[in-house]
Amino acid sequence: MNTLLSRANAIFAFTLSVLAGLTFCCFVSTAFNEYKTNVTLKTVKAVVKNVPDYSASREKNDLGFLTYDLQADLRSLFNWNVKQLFIYMTAEYVSGNNVLNQVVLWDKIIRRGDEAKIDYRNVNPKYYFWDDGNGLRGNKNITLTLSWNVIPNAGSLPNVFGTGSHSFSFPAEYTTSRVM
Amino acid sequence: MLDNLNFKSIPTHMDFDGQRRAEKIFQTIILVFGIVGFIGGYIYQQFSYTVYILGAGFVLSCLLTLPPWPMYRREPLPWQKPQIENVESTQKSKKKTK
Repeated sequence: MNTLLSRANAIFAFTLSVLAGLTFCCFVSTAFNEYKTNVTLKTVKAVVKNVPDYSASREKNDLGFLTYDLQADLRSLFNWNVKQLFIYMTAEYVSGNNVLNQVVLWDKIIRRGDEAKIDYRNVNPKYYFWDDGNGLRGNKNITLTLSWNVIPNAGSLPNVFGTGSHSFSFPAEYTTSRVM
Repeated sequence: MLDNLNFKSIPTHMDFDGQRRAEKIFQTIILVFGIVGFIGGYIYQQFSYTVYILGAGFVLSCLLTLPPWPMYRREPLPWQKPQIENVESTQKSKKKTK
C-alpha cells in the first residue's frame, strides 16, 4: 500500500474478489429454480416411407414424415442468470432393434430478449426422422417431448424436460407417393 | 521556469495511517458499490448492471486512493531529532558548499 502500483494491485484484486462473490450470489439466487413449464405438442399428420438411407448404410430404412403443432411459453424461464435456452424436440419410441430410440427432430436457440413465446402450427421438423431399420411403420407409441438446456451466467447447466408430451402412431402402410 | 521547480520536494508518499485509511476507503467503496449493484441487478434482472456498478466503484476508489492525496499525509511519524555528529556535520557542510 506504500506505492501507487501496490495500491492499484490491491484495489484490482479486491474488486475481482467482490465480483466473484457477487457472481456466486447470483448463482445461489437462481440455484433452486425449477425451469419447468407446460408445452402443448400435437401431430397433424404422420406418414412413413421406406427409402434408402444414403447418409448411412444405403439400405432401405424407415423415414418418418410428420407435421406438428407446438405451443410453449418459455418467457417465465428467463432470469438474470439465464443467457439463452437451447430447446429441442425429441421423438422417443421402442423398436424391434432397440429398447430406446431417441431422435432429435427440431432445435432452436432462444437468446434472452428474443421472442420466447413459441407458437408453431403445422410445421415440418428440422431434421430427418430416420429409424435404423423398420421400426417406424405401424409403431403405435411415439412420444414427442420438448426439452431445453438452460445456459446460465454462472452455475450448473440443467437439462429440463417440458411437461406435456404427445404420443402418436405411424400408419401401418408405407406411403409411396411424394409427401409434403 | 521548470528548472526552478524542485520535483523532489513534491511529496508522493502516504504515511502509515494514510495507507490504513486508503485501504479501508477503497474496500468500503467497492463493497458498497457491489452490494448496491447486486440489489439493482436483481431488481432489473440484469447481472450486467451489477458488473457495471461494481466497475464504477472500482474507478471511484482508484481516483480516491491511488494518487497520494494530501489527506493521506496528515499524521507524519514523530521522528527523533537528528543527533548532531561529526560525520553529519561534514555532510551538511558539503551540501552547503554545493
